[in-house]
Amino acid sequence: MRDVLVVGIGMSGLTAALRCQEAGLSVTLLAKGVGSTHLAPGTIDVLGYGPDLVESPSQALPRFIDGSPEHPYARIGVDALSRSLEWFGERFDAYRYTGAVDENLLLPTAIGSIKPSALVPESLSAGDLRNGGRFLIVGLRQLKDFFPALVAQNIANAKTPSGAGISARAVQIEPPTNGEPDLSSLAFARRFDEPEFLDAVAKQIGAHLDGDESVGLPAVLGVQHPHEVWTGLQDALGRPVFEIPSLPPSVPGMRLYEILRAQFEAGGGRVVVGAEAVGADTDGDRVTAVRVAAAARIKPYPAGHFVLATGGFGSGAIEMGANWSVREKVFNLPVAGVPEDGNERFGPRYFDAHPLSRAGIRVDDSLRPLDDNGNRVYANVTVVGACLAGSEAWREKSGEGISLSSGYKAAETIVEEQT
Amino acid sequence: MKNVQTEVLVIGGGATGSGVAWDAAARGFETILVERKDLAEGTTGRFHGLLHSGGRYAVKDRLAAEECIHENRILRRVASDAIEDTGGYFVTTPWDDPAFGDKFLEGCRACEIPVEEISPSQAFQDEPRINRGISRVFTVPDAAIDGWKLVWDCAKATTEHGGRVFTYHQVLGILRAGDVVRGAKVRNELSGEEFEIHADFTINATGAWAGKIADMAGCPGVQVLAGKGIMIAMNHRLVNTVINRCTMPADGDILVPIRTVSVIGTTDIRIKDPDEPDVTQDEVDRMLDDGEKLVPGFRKARALRVWAGVRPLFKDARAAETTDTRDVSRSHALLDHRDRDGVAGFLTITGGKLTTFRMMAEETVDMMCEQLGAQRACRTSADPLPSSKTGKFMWLGERLKEREATMHEDQLICECELIQRSSLERVMTQRSSTILDDIRRALRLGMGPCQGGFCMYRATGILHDVERMDSWAANRSLRDFLQERWKGVQPILYGDQLRQARLDDWIFQGVLDVEHLPTDQLDDHPASDRA
Amino acid sequence: MIEDLIRGSLDHCIKCTICESHCPVSRATPLFPGPKYVGPQAERFRTGDTSPDDSLDYCSGCGICTHVCPQGVKVAEINSRARRTLKESKGIRLRDKVIARPSLSAKLATPVAPVANWTLRSKPIRAAIETTAGVDRRAPLPTFAGRTFQKWARKHEGPKLGRSVVYFHGCSANWFEPDLGAKTVAVLEHNGFNVIVPKGQDCCGLPLQSNGLFDDATGYVNRLVAKLAPYAREGYDIVATSTSCGLMLKREAHEILGMESDDLRVVSERMYDICEFLLDLHDRGELKTEMAPLSLKVPYHVPCQQRGHEMGKPALGLFGLIPGLEVVDTQRTCCGIAGTYGLKKEKYDIAMEVGRSLFEDITGMEPELSVCDSETCRWQIEHATEIPSVHPIELLHRSYGL
Repeated sequence: MRDVLVVGIGMSGLTAALRCQEAGLSVTLLAKGVGSTHLAPGTIDVLGYGPDLVESPSQALPRFIDGSPEHPYARIGVDALSRSLEWFGERFDAYRYTGAVDENLLLPTAIGSIKPSALVPESLSAGDLRNGGRFLIVGLRQLKDFFPALVAQNIANAKTPSGAGISARAVQIEPPTNGEPDLSSLAFARRFDEPEFLDAVAKQIGAHLDGDESVGLPAVLGVQHPHEVWTGLQDALGRPVFEIPSLPPSVPGMRLYEILRAQFEAGGGRVVVGAEAVGADTDGDRVTAVRVAAAARIKPYPAGHFVLATGGFGSGAIEMGANWSVREKVFNLPVAGVPEDGNERFGPRYFDAHPLSRAGIRVDDSLRPLDDNGNRVYANVTVVGACLAGSEAWREKSGEGISLSSGYKAAETIVEEQT
Repeated sequence: MKNVQTEVLVIGGGATGSGVAWDAAARGFETILVERKDLAEGTTGRFHGLLHSGGRYAVKDRLAAEECIHENRILRRVASDAIEDTGGYFVTTPWDDPAFGDKFLEGCRACEIPVEEISPSQAFQDEPRINRGISRVFTVPDAAIDGWKLVWDCAKATTEHGGRVFTYHQVLGILRAGDVVRGAKVRNELSGEEFEIHADFTINATGAWAGKIADMAGCPGVQVLAGKGIMIAMNHRLVNTVINRCTMPADGDILVPIRTVSVIGTTDIRIKDPDEPDVTQDEVDRMLDDGEKLVPGFRKARALRVWAGVRPLFKDARAAETTDTRDVSRSHALLDHRDRDGVAGFLTITGGKLTTFRMMAEETVDMMCEQLGAQRACRTSADPLPSSKTGKFMWLGERLKEREATMHEDQLICECELIQRSSLERVMTQRSSTILDDIRRALRLGMGPCQGGFCMYRATGILHDVERMDSWAANRSLRDFLQERWKGVQPILYGDQLRQARLDDWIFQGVLDVEHLPTDQLDDHPASDRA
Repeated sequence: MIEDLIRGSLDHCIKCTICESHCPVSRATPLFPGPKYVGPQAERFRTGDTSPDDSLDYCSGCGICTHVCPQGVKVAEINSRARRTLKESKGIRLRDKVIARPSLSAKLATPVAPVANWTLRSKPIRAAIETTAGVDRRAPLPTFAGRTFQKWARKHEGPKLGRSVVYFHGCSANWFEPDLGAKTVAVLEHNGFNVIVPKGQDCCGLPLQSNGLFDDATGYVNRLVAKLAPYAREGYDIVATSTSCGLMLKREAHEILGMESDDLRVVSERMYDICEFLLDLHDRGELKTEMAPLSLKVPYHVPCQQRGHEMGKPALGLFGLIPGLEVVDTQRTCCGIAGTYGLKKEKYDIAMEVGRSLFEDITGMEPELSVCDSETCRWQIEHATEIPSVHPIELLHRSYGL
């Protein structure tokens, strides 16, 4: 019987699994499919808006937490958050993450908005707009998920906190794709892993360079060898190069997944993908096994401790049925924050704060799940990531920060429990 | 002030107005059509897509039924490109009286609607999702009709005959010279320019808004009741045949397979203002429950979008006062203002249903000809609309087949609805529109399961490029589109669609961060919600 | 009905692109637009009697899409059903009908195996077959053993043991790899199981299904489960060494062919992949673990169909019990053969491109052999790498010293 069973292979699941494994526990990671990493831009966003633009998460967090006592960060604590970010940064070898919890970078998005992120892959870091600068934004004609002119115009109009000016222009190149007009970011990234393709693109961009502009491209600089591709392009162009993440498939996200998963498997971790957890066996206040739908049968996976890292409404882990009732699908944990029947779940304007957004599983400071009366539901279950109640991560820009720090904290709880 | 000269001015760009413009232009009249928003943005763009066989009215309203089957036959000839020959069933569910089926048969035969009773087991073979408790099934020539395609084809016919179509032109006032209406003063909503259109004859085809225009012409008291109905589009074709409940017309008794979705409708609630139809939770629940009766498991299927359409019901002073607007005559009303108000050069056509739009247009233009003393015969029942010259019906797999041929040449922008970049660029250039919602209506952009989650960003980028817009305007376009979409999606966010909405939130807010795009002074006055 | 559940699962698609990011075929050729496209997306444009998109035919049926979909869309199953409609409307080639019936050709060829094998290795004859029937001249056709596993089983007298298990050997063990069957029996007997080999087992119909011949496939499944069901009802577990055939009976016959018979149901419930079965034994402390060391470092390829079992990778758990054995999980998604897909002239090159990185990984290691649970994959890998490929059972057999 494994010590720990983690259900869900997004950021929070991978973090919890890795941390537990490092502490010497035997871990199995179970997932219905592939997780959130493939859809997210690959940056670690700790706190971007709370509700105003946050320049320093470490400075803003205490006040933010005071104002939002139900927020996951209030349970996790700034200390565990900082440690988790440090731990995360140490996971990487050649392809590194840069940044710290003390200051947010301001990175351009694929539409030219500017977005605060705390830790970012090295290949994105030169896009930091806080100090302004001159930029050449390069689009690839066969990539429909990136519009360089719109990015350039919008970032040129952006207001940086320091007031520094940004000037940007756009250009479009047409890399050699054997005539195929419609390639995804991933398809391009695979081509970039090939040196000849990188050379060809470098030459095409080279023809457009002017002065000391930094060069921004969509996030396609390799998926197997991102460090080599990014440094190779920078060397070839002789100036800073940065990636701008766009719609799924997220190449930076996939890189992150591959790296973390490989580390987990190399350490003896077992990964079972394509297996949906559909229920649990319990004995009093302990879960004894998670029941998993395999082909032709339901298979029980017993373990000492269980981590629920299945995601929120977005992954269907918490589901609102056609009769408007809400259910967490593995352990049937009580879901807090769902507006009562008859009350509004959503506001009338799209960018409003919506009542339903904060619904999720309530936990105590050890991240164990609580019921409506504040009592612990299970002694050997911790809840992490997007299924936690209390945040509107996509608006606050706090998703990965919550996933990372909660996964890390849950592992601490588990290790303590074992000793 | 600039003025534009024409013979016939048609106000209102729904099916009725477009039909009148088509008819008038085809008869050789110099015609201008004005519409305050996009064509078919009113009722025509919000119905359930049914081309009636008339079966629905065969028992209750024989006149309406006969009109329907008559027009059904004609439209299949002249508007085939907008029609999919799905056929229809009238089914007796466990909640319906089986004896009604006999009345139904009788009524159809009396109206000469081709009808046949088939065995339920045969129906279940063709339509395996329908309720196995159904005891009687009748086939009729119902069909699905795409309101936007239809209306734009009428507009195309109008321009091919030398006419002009002005969308986003609001009528500010009707011009009178004594007792004769001489046209209208309009404002181009996009440029702000105001000008006059001088016409020999003006036709008010504004449907639920007819009373407002008639008032402007000095013809008060045209009472058009607004009967709101909601409809829900389900993500895929649960059925490939129109399914009707075999009973007296009631709520939620029609399920229409139209393009890639199935639409369940509808309710009927009288509202005061046709510009303010809202969707209530209760109505949504009722429609889902009604769908469940026709297709078990309906509630578990994915609802994409909900909208409200407003039926124009002309209230004849002789009809009884009733809140169920369904009981008010569904036949149309053509008002001769020369007779009624002593005002010449002006007609109002209102009421009716989409199926009879051509007939309504014919009657209207006939009356206009009579008043003008012009002897010109109607052409619309004989000459097909421009896209319908081959007589081929729409079929579901069209776009899928077309894409096979262009897969290696053209980018696919809206993947859900299989829309290619060249189509987008073409429509954007043709319409010179910067409103993404217009493009949505023209091509079904963003009308699939992801409701624009992936394609809206791409379309904004392309629009910015093609229309040489500045980034402020592009940003606004996207934000407006997101708000417009939210209205239609928000009331049905459960299950799969809630999941989708969450992913879309992550894309628009987590990845793109649209909310924090730079804004200019035009954004301080946010775009008003459009009905 | 199951068809409605499969088609209805397209509602779960939120267009996240994860399936197409993992599809090995769309990565190898632009002729295939990807699983999201031909599955939940195109399905909204089909009415059930036509499938106007020919590009669907390039789907190999590997099932990786369904495996990685985080929302539960049955992508591969939707594709399989749509492909059947496509093929029915276009007519199914004689070639497909023949290569989809391995047991039929095998029955004819086995008595004259040396000649048959020689014929299929002869270049001019293969060229002729390619021209007339569209089977690529380079494609890895298996070698007939010239004797059957069934015959061996009839003669085999095992020790009388406490427990019994049923062995579903499939076409591959019977006609092409009877030694594998014998080794499997040996390993099971070593662990205390009497092995029952029901007579008259024929093909499970999987190649017919993947070529769109659903009615014929259903016939084969019915006949096969009729042979196995009585044992299942008596409470015997059934093990399969062909991981793809095991999956066919566990799941695909129901979800793709839409079969709902009672015989099939009881057989599915009792069907185990051999590695799954043995690792479960081990988890209960019932597997013999006295194993001699094997000083080998070998690559292991997880076939697509093995992933479809949704049971993780039990072979890795078994390998971990053998001292000295170092197994490298290549982590590649597909070898390209996908049953009969890679045999076809118009698909051979695509299949070889799909498997290219796997083949390079394997040859790069310069191993003595590679390991893989599916026979068609082993034949493809041997063809491409020229290094022998064995079923995991063979390593166990060796280590047990049997």
